[in-house]
Parts: sequence; structure tokens; C-alpha cells
Amino acid sequence: MTSGERPVSPGETAVELRGITKRFPGVVANHDVDLTVRRGTVHAVVGENGAGKSTLMKILYGMQAPDEGMIAIDGETVRLGSPAEAIAHGIGMVHQHFMLAGNLTVLENVVLGAEKAHGIGAAARRRIMEISDAYGLDVQPDRLVAEQGVGQLQRVEILKVLYRGARTLILDEPTAVLVPQEVDKLFGNLRELKREGLTVIFISHKLDEVLSVADEITVMRQGTTVASVDPAGTSARELATLMVGGELPVPELRESTVTDTPVLDVRGLTVRTDEGRAVVSDVTFTIHEGEILGIAGVEGNGQAELIEALMGVRQPESGGIRLGERDIASWPTKRRREAGIGYIPEDRHRQGLLLESPLWENRILGHQGEFAPRGVLRLGRARADTRRIVDSYDVRTPGIGVDVDALSGGNQQKLIVGREMSGTPRVLIAAHPTRGVDVGAQAAIWEHLRAARADGLAVLLISADLDELIGMSDTLRVIYRGELVAELDPASVTPEDLGSAMTGARPEAPEAPDSPDRPDRPDGPEAAGGDAGEDTKDA
Amino acid sequence: MRRVASSGLALSVTAAFIALVFAALVTVGVLIVTGYPPVQTIEQMVTYGSEPDSVVNTINRATTFFLSAIAVAIGFQMKLFNIGVDGQYRLAAFLAAAAGGSAFVAGLPPGLQQLVIIVVAMLVGGVWAGIAGVLKVTRGVSEVISTIMLNFIGGGVISYLLSPGRLAIREGNNLTTRPIGPDGQVPGIPFPDANFAVYGLIVLAIVVGFLYHAGVRRTRFGFDLRATGLSAPAALASGVDVRRMTVAAMLLSGLVAGLVGIPQLLGDAHRFALDFPVGIGFTGIAIALLGRNNALGIALSALLFAFLTESAQILDLNEIPKEIVTITQAVVVLSVVVVYEVVHRFGVRIQRQAVGRQLATAEGGAAA
Amino acid sequence: MRRNRFVTMAAAVCTAALVTAGAAACGGSESGSSGGGGEKTLKVGLAYDIGGRGDKSFNDSAYAGLQRVEKELNLEIKDLEAKDGETNADKVQRLDLLAKSGYNPIIAVGFVYTEAVTEVSKRHPDVKFGIVDSLVESPNVSSLLFAEHEASYLVGAAAALKSKTDTIGFVGGDHVPLIEKFEAGYMAGAKKVNPDIEVKVKYANEGSDGKGFKDPTSGKTIAQGQIDEGADVIYHASGLTGVGVIEAAAAKKKWAIGVDSDQYLTAPADQKPYVLTSALKRVDTAVFDFVKSVSDGTVKGGPTTFDLKNDGVGYSTANKEAIKDVQARLDELKKQIIDGEIKVPDKP
Repeated sequence: MTSGERPVSPGETAVELRGITKRFPGVVANHDVDLTVRRGTVHAVVGENGAGKSTLMKILYGMQAPDEGMIAIDGETVRLGSPAEAIAHGIGMVHQHFMLAGNLTVLENVVLGAEKAHGIGAAARRRIMEISDAYGLDVQPDRLVAEQGVGQLQRVEILKVLYRGARTLILDEPTAVLVPQEVDKLFGNLRELKREGLTVIFISHKLDEVLSVADEITVMRQGTTVASVDPAGTSARELATLMVGGELPVPELRESTVTDTPVLDVRGLTVRTDEGRAVVSDVTFTIHEGEILGIAGVEGNGQAELIEALMGVRQPESGGIRLGERDIASWPTKRRREAGIGYIPEDRHRQGLLLESPLWENRILGHQGEFAPRGVLRLGRARADTRRIVDSYDVRTPGIGVDVDALSGGNQQKLIVGREMSGTPRVLIAAHPTRGVDVGAQAAIWEHLRAARADGLAVLLISADLDELIGMSDTLRVIYRGELVAELDPASVTPEDLGSAMTGARPEAPEAPDSPDRPDRPDGPEAAGGDAGEDTKDA
Repeated sequence: MRRVASSGLALSVTAAFIALVFAALVTVGVLIVTGYPPVQTIEQMVTYGSEPDSVVNTINRATTFFLSAIAVAIGFQMKLFNIGVDGQYRLAAFLAAAAGGSAFVAGLPPGLQQLVIIVVAMLVGGVWAGIAGVLKVTRGVSEVISTIMLNFIGGGVISYLLSPGRLAIREGNNLTTRPIGPDGQVPGIPFPDANFAVYGLIVLAIVVGFLYHAGVRRTRFGFDLRATGLSAPAALASGVDVRRMTVAAMLLSGLVAGLVGIPQLLGDAHRFALDFPVGIGFTGIAIALLGRNNALGIALSALLFAFLTESAQILDLNEIPKEIVTITQAVVVLSVVVVYEVVHRFGVRIQRQAVGRQLATAEGGAAA
Repeated sequence: MRRNRFVTMAAAVCTAALVTAGAAACGGSESGSSGGGGEKTLKVGLAYDIGGRGDKSFNDSAYAGLQRVEKELNLEIKDLEAKDGETNADKVQRLDLLAKSGYNPIIAVGFVYTEAVTEVSKRHPDVKFGIVDSLVESPNVSSLLFAEHEASYLVGAAAALKSKTDTIGFVGGDHVPLIEKFEAGYMAGAKKVNPDIEVKVKYANEGSDGKGFKDPTSGKTIAQGQIDEGADVIYHASGLTGVGVIEAAAAKKKWAIGVDSDQYLTAPADQKPYVLTSALKRVDTAVFDFVKSVSDGTVKGGPTTFDLKNDGVGYSTANKEAIKDVQARLDELKKQIIDGEIKVPDKP
């Protein structure tokens, strides 16, 4: 089947899901999900992180089998046992994390695994150009994937799916990795697809985007579909209420608690890769007691390296780091932590937790000195304090002896936040503290941050959530290609302004991100690695 | 919570049990297929294996196996694969024996002699394994490669030094270090009706077992070690110096490996000769796996392996190939890994279900 | 899931190790004992060193003697093998087991049994023990010693006489005193007939763990190396490793000299012509004579040295074509040794 076939008649049902239920032990996945997607439309599925969107899409893409319920494609009931079967039925998926081989060309990536369709030579190239032209995807088949920006890569992914004959495309959080200008271009492509009779299922939790591009919206909450709405007759506010089943928490700081006492002082910090490229260059800032410094930036512009340098995990080339009066630049990580630097890492599974260990052992992680002052672990104290965190941070767990692996992502994050805020740290380095966390926990984490700030905590906040950054920062800086390029006033800045500042503030070139975005370069975003962890735990 | 935790232990025991039963079935199957009477074979093994001499030999063998497996397990805690225990213990036993037979040590008071020998063995083992650790952190050499190469190098060092005029004397066709005098030996523990005695240094093995258990479970070092093994990036972010831990783990593994040959050296052989046992380091890997890196599990596994090896002696005499036991041992290890994985997944499911129930009762809890 | 992969890999490696060990040990373990019917007055037990049957030299030679015992003396026989990584206690147990099960005499093959024989012979004073290659002072132990250097001397002379390049080779197994004895005799014999001869010496294993005696691949490599350096006769004292030596020599149409048993007889047909001779170490004769002396009651404890004089060692003339032109010279040397005119060194 190829996408060249025209639909029988636009408007009829392309995909129908009825009563889909998927049970995972321990986590709410999907129950009684109904979804009807009409052909030739962009259908948005919205919901909070963890509402079950990804699970539903995995079911539709054949990656998981539903326990109950029915899937119909073009009116015909089907069983999708694998992605291959889904593709055979014309369903393709563009994953949030690109699945491309960097050292191959676009052409090679597209034909890889689909050699049977049009071979690997001239016929394949012809077909790629056909598709690219038909939908305005604008791909260059002979460029290396590694040389391209995130937006381009996403179009390659879309092309890959179309090349395999998909007529219904599932896009999982496609805008998460894009800056606003690229989002517009993507939406242009989607309209193009729709005009050609293809169907797009668009997963997102960004309501403004959804309202601008979708023809229909299905709202999910706690594993089930709660409403189908017409974008014309609704507002972001209403959608949000539907999504969370109540008022959305707003990130905001009340009165300023910023003092004159510098806590973390960074001067001229430069970090280079092993190859000698500067990933953080000459970064200078000061965080005072009671201040939250937000750093905005497209992922991969040096945030990770900056944090690692601050934590002592990565060796900076030059620059000074002072904690209060003390120069800590030469200190090992352990000493920095013991001196009162809390750390909420970007990737909690990799850096923040021992997944196969119980909660109470994870409580000790990063605070070994606290629980083993003379080398011998005080297990009782660790258990007791874990119970305290479980209670005060509302970590949903049957006990502190279960492996962290068994908890949902949000609860894992609450455990980490609770842990890092314990023992009255002086500085908290928080990377995406509320990523993948449900609304209730998000509000709670914000509240804890505010309270700690009032007590004099200095926070370095790095987040991809612009609302969070704007709402929770006393001071807002923008990082671009490893440099702090702008300082904005969180009281007045809009997400749009912030977004364009994040692209390097070169208004004359809307395509600007495409060149700095090269994933193989340290000063560009890690196209495939970005945004890890988000929404992966709602299955 | 206690229920969940205790069921974890129960699951481990179940896993080991299932694996043993499976291995027994395979062995019986092989016996039947090859035309040997299974019941009689096992009966013979049990009868022979429970004779006093065999019991003592089993215990002694298990002591060495245990130390070897603990050495391997220390590396395993950190996902370091020290397959060089073999070379480490041989080189350690050799140099310790040479030291023990030297005039200097012989002049020391009893008690101190044994101590010097043990310390030399540990240091040699530690240094030999530590080389692999240092190579790994400084040059990125996989410890699998370097430890196995060090086995060969160790063998070469031994043969070079184990020659007349260097550290050895000639005794007929044998080459041996100078024997350790009576003041440097460790007397055995008599066992009723047996011709042999239990190695006195079984006590040392037991102490090592307790230290290992407490060290891994109850100390900061052990925590760092396990954390690094479970997730190196998380350990790094938590302030663990992973490079230093790598070297430390290899060193510790080597220190214990150095002890492997010592109970035999001080309790029986009293010298290192060409016929000093080889291969215990590799058996240690199997036993560490079977024992799931747990001190008690390793002790039981070591006893099982020792018993199987020991009681197999009778088989040849009755025309049954004793290699059948090797099959049993291999199947036990393989099946314990497989079964444990299955059981582990089952355990995770139970935990998730428990979490699920918790969420279900916590009203209105979003899954997140 | 990283953990799983690690554990799986660990399991795979160690299972492979176990299986390899098992397979290697399996090599010669088809039971070949206790055949035939009739009256059996004595039960003869024999314990091998690591390697056991199937090494095509030393242990096989002992087994050949045992088979002769079975056939000619019509006695019940039993042979047991050692396993990797065993301690002295295991050897003690093995011998003890044989003694307890009524085996008498018991023959221990290899010097590694020295201590075990010493110990067990005390425990069972009524059982006669024989030990090959080692001296045990005990009234009920007969030590069966060999003058390997004398046999090596003769084949060394043969090699030097046959060499056209004045370069010959020696491949040892493990670098241990026993094998140095072969090397020393070979060297002396070669130098005797041709003082200018160059002897390339190489051991398959500088260690002492027995690997050098079971590695035909490295035997082949070493022999090829020596041939490349000009050697045209190569003598090996390396057990199974020698199979590779002979193969390499035959492939290059050079002479190979076997050891222990007559390897002309055991070599594959296409290699036979290149087996010049073998330094015979008649372990089979020693075993047979020992058992026979026990069976007819003439046994006496203490050492017996098997040398040229009593035909306990010698050189093979099975490859008649090859050896005939030097045979006279060799026999002359042999006589000189027997007469004590030539003293063969046993250390290099």
C-alpha cells in the first residue's frame, strides 16, 4: 500500500477504538477508551503526562496488545500484533525520540528496513522526492542525518513513515523538541498531509498548539477518554480543566525573598568536550539566598554540561565556582554534596535512582555521608527518613521496601525532590523538577520549592516548561550554544519572547535553529536524547 | 512492606530450589540416555560423599571455593568481571609460600609467621588484581581482557621463579618452594573417623564471609560499590568516585583472591609445588553466580559444588563417567540464572501490583 | 536490563569454561577396563596424572602396559583419571579408594603422586604401590624411574646425523625439570656427533600447569617456526602437543622425532614417513614388569631405573628406511652409554 492511493471519501472513519482497556500491574494505563478519528483530519489527543496517551498510541501502533476492546481501521476490525502489522494497515508512528542512524544519509535512513518497497537506488530516491514534494517536507536525501537540525530530522521521520505506506500518522509529542518557529513549520506540514487525505493523530499536552492545529480533540484523564471537543468551541482554559479534572496549578512566586547574600557564584565557567569544543563557554552568574535562577534554552545548548560541571561530575576547563565563601571548583562531587548542594538530575532513571533498589536505599543515594558518618550505614535512620519523605511528599507506594522501579515516574520524581530538599541544602540544582509529574505533585513540588526559597535556599532551575521557568524564576537567563546570551524579566516576558530568545535571538532567520541544532555538535541540541523521561511512565 | 520484602527472599530461595531440581532432572535424563542407572548412581555418590574422608574433603574444598567465589562476587557487585582470580590466587599462594619458607619468616615467632604469609598472599593478590583496575580507569582496558592476560603473565612469573636457584628447590621431578616449617603451619581441626583434618583456616573463610556481608550491606563503601554496579551514572551523580571505586573493588577482590590458596597451603601442602591446584578461580565464578553474590548463598553453593566434585570420585570406579557432574554443575548455574530472572520478573510484578493496590485505594490518584 | 545482560554473559562464560573442562576431561574416558572372563587373582589399579588417556605418549604408554597386564596376565584392571584443579587430598583419596576397593597393586602415573603415594602406602602396608617418575622411600612402594636423557641422547645423535642444515629443533611441553632432562640428553647427543650443530629449543608453555602437554596447535606453530629458522629435524617431548609438531614437520617434509611411545606407529599414514624415530620411554614395560613381579611374588620395593641397559628406554627403528643409515652409529653410542663410557647429562 502506498500513500499515493487516494482516500475513498474524506470524512469517514479512519481509525476507531472502542472500549480499549490495558492493565499494567500497578499503574493506571487505559480503561474504556473510545476514540474515533475521521479521515483527512488532524486529531489531537490531549492529556496530562501519565493520562495514558502513550499507552493508547502504543496499542494502536501494535507495540502493546490491549486486554480488552476493539480496534477498527477503515471500518474493518483488526488485530495489531506488531508495528509491522500496524504499518501494513497504514498506521505509522513518529516517535518523540528520533530513531535515526546519524552516520547514514537521509536516503539510507529512509530505506533502511524498507528495502523491499522501492529498493535502495534511484527508484527509492525518486519516491522520496515525490513524497517530500507532495507534502512540502523539503528533505535533502543525500545529507547526513548527523548534520541536520531537529526540525529537519522530524520531517525525515515523517517521510520515513509515509515511505512505508502509512496513511494514518501518529505523532507523539512532536513539538516537545522544537522551538516555536519550527513548530509552525511542522504544523504547515501537517496541514499539507491532511489536504492530501492523510490522517494525523497528534499527541500533546500543550493546549495552545493543539487548539491551533487540530480539527478534533479528544481529552484523556487517568487512563480514559473523558471528552471529545471541537477546537472551535473551546478554550485552553476549558481544555485544561477537562485534562486535570479541576483547576490547573499555576507556577508563580509570590513576594520576592531574594537577599544580597550570594550563595553560588560562578565566574567564567568554560567546559570543553574531549575533542576540545566548548560546550559551556564563559558562563558567569550568581545566585543569592532565597533566589531562584531560571535558565532557559533549547535542550542541548550546554545545560547538561553546565550542571555536571557545577556538580563536579565533569571537569571544567576554566572558571571559578564558589559556594558561599569557599572556592569549590576543585572539590569532588561528594564534597560538594556534603557541603549542601542538592541535585535533581535531568534523567532520573539514569542519574537519580537505583531502580532495582528499595526506596530507602535510594534515600541514601547522594547522601551517603549523612547516613554513614563513620562509614557504617545507619539503616534505621534511612528508613525513618524515607517514611518522612513518603508522607510529606505524598509518594504513592505500598512501602519503603519496594524497588523504586515499581513506582510511577511522578512518584519517583517526588522521592528525588524530597530527598534533595532534605537536610537543608544551601543550593539546589534542579533540572526539570516537574517533568513527567502529575498535576498534584507538580503543585506540591512548586510549593516545596517556594517554601525552601523562603528559608533561603538558592535554586538553579533548568526546565523545558517555559511557564514553569517564567513563573518560578526570580531571575531568568537564556543559554544558547553554551553561552548565557540574555537576561529577561520573568515578570514581563511571554513564552513567545522567551522562545525566540532561546533560538539565539536572530529574528532575521526563522530557520536559525536548523543550523545550530546539529546533534553531532556539542553546542546544538541532542536531537535524539532530548526530553528523555517525559511521558514514558504512563504505561 | 515487610511482606513484600520477605517475599523477595522467599522468591530467591524458590529460584535456587527450582534450578536445583531442574539440574537434577537434566542429570537424571543424561544418565538414562547414556544408559547408566540414575538411582544407583546418585546413591553411590551420596554414600561415598558422606564417608568421613569425603566430608572433610568436601568441607576443605568448599572453603577454597568459597573464598574464590567471594573474590569474584566483590567484582560482581560492581559489575566488574574478575576472571583473573585464578592467576591471583596462584601467584599469591606461590609468593606467600616462598616467603613462608624463607629463613627470615622461619625466624619469626609462631603466629606472626602465619600472619606474614597471609598478608603477603593478600597483598600479592590485591596488587595483581589492582593492575587490572588501574588499567581500566587509566587506559580503558576491559578488566575481562586484562585479568585473563594477567593469569598468563602470572603463570609465567611463577614458572620463572619456580626454578632452582630462584625461589624453588628441586625434589625429584617436582619443583617446590622451601616448605613452611611447623611454626608457620595452621593445624587442622580433627574430624571423627577421618584420615584428614578440616583446614584450620576455615575460620578465616568464615570471617571473610561475614566481613563481605557486612561490608557490602552495612557500610558506605559497600553502598557505593553496589550503587556503582546498579547504575554508574547515578553513583557518579551521588558523589561516588567511580574510578576510585573500580580500583578499590579490584583491589579488594584481589585481596580475597590472594587468600584462596592459603588454607590449603598452611593446612596441608605447606609449600607451593608444580602440582598446586589450578582452576579454582573459574569455579569461583560459577559459584558466585549460583550464590547470587550473597555470602550465605555462596557458602551453600560452594558446599554443593564441593560435594558434587568430591562424590564424583566414586563414579569412575564404577564405570560411570564422572564428567556427568560437570554437566550437573553447568546446568545448575545456567538454570539458576534463567530461573532467577523469571522469578525476579514475577517479583517485580508482585511489587507493581502492590503499588497498584495502593494507588487504587489512594482516592483520585493520577497515575503519572 | 543492563544487569541481566551482565549476568547472562557471566553465566555463559563460566558455563563454557565448565563444559570445556568437562569435554577435555571426557577425551579418554570410555571405560576400557575389566574385560574378559576367567579367574582373576589380582585387581590392578592405575591412576593417571591430569591429561589421562589419549595423550598419545606418556599416559597412553602406561595404559598400553595395563592392557598387556589384562591380556597376558589375565588380571582385572581399573584406571582412574585426575581432574583439573585437584589437590593432594584428591590424589590421596583416589589411591585410598582403589586400595579400599581391593585393588593391589596400584600404580600411580606421574611425579605429582609422590606425596599421595607416600601417605597412602603407609595407610595400606599390605598393598603394593608403583609410582612412575618419582622416588618414594617406602617398603611397599616400587619407584619406576627412567633414564629419559639416555634415550634423548640417542635421538639427538640421530637428528644431528640426519640434519643437512646443521640445525635441529626441540619442542618441550611445560618447562619443568622432567622435560629439561629430555632436552639435556638430546642436546648432548647432537653435539656429540656434530659439535657445530645448532639446536633450537622452545617450550610450548613456560608455565607448569600442564597446558604445554595438550596444545597441538602451539606445537604446530613452534615447529613451523623452527623449520623456518632452518631446522630440518625436530624432537618433541610434549605429550599431545607433539601431534602438532609431527604434523608441521610432515607438512614441510622435515623429520620429526616422537617421544615415549613409538609415534611412527600412531602417526597418520601420510605423516608416518617423516617420523624418523621416537625416544622410547617404556612406561608400558615398566608397568607390566611391575605388575608381573607382584603377581609372581618377586616384587621388591625401592627404585628401579629403566635405562638403555635394561631396554627400559631406547629409540625406535620402526621407520626402517629412514633410520637405517645411522643405526650403526646409534647402536655404537648406545653401547658406550651402557658401558659407562659416555655419561649423559640430565640437566641442561
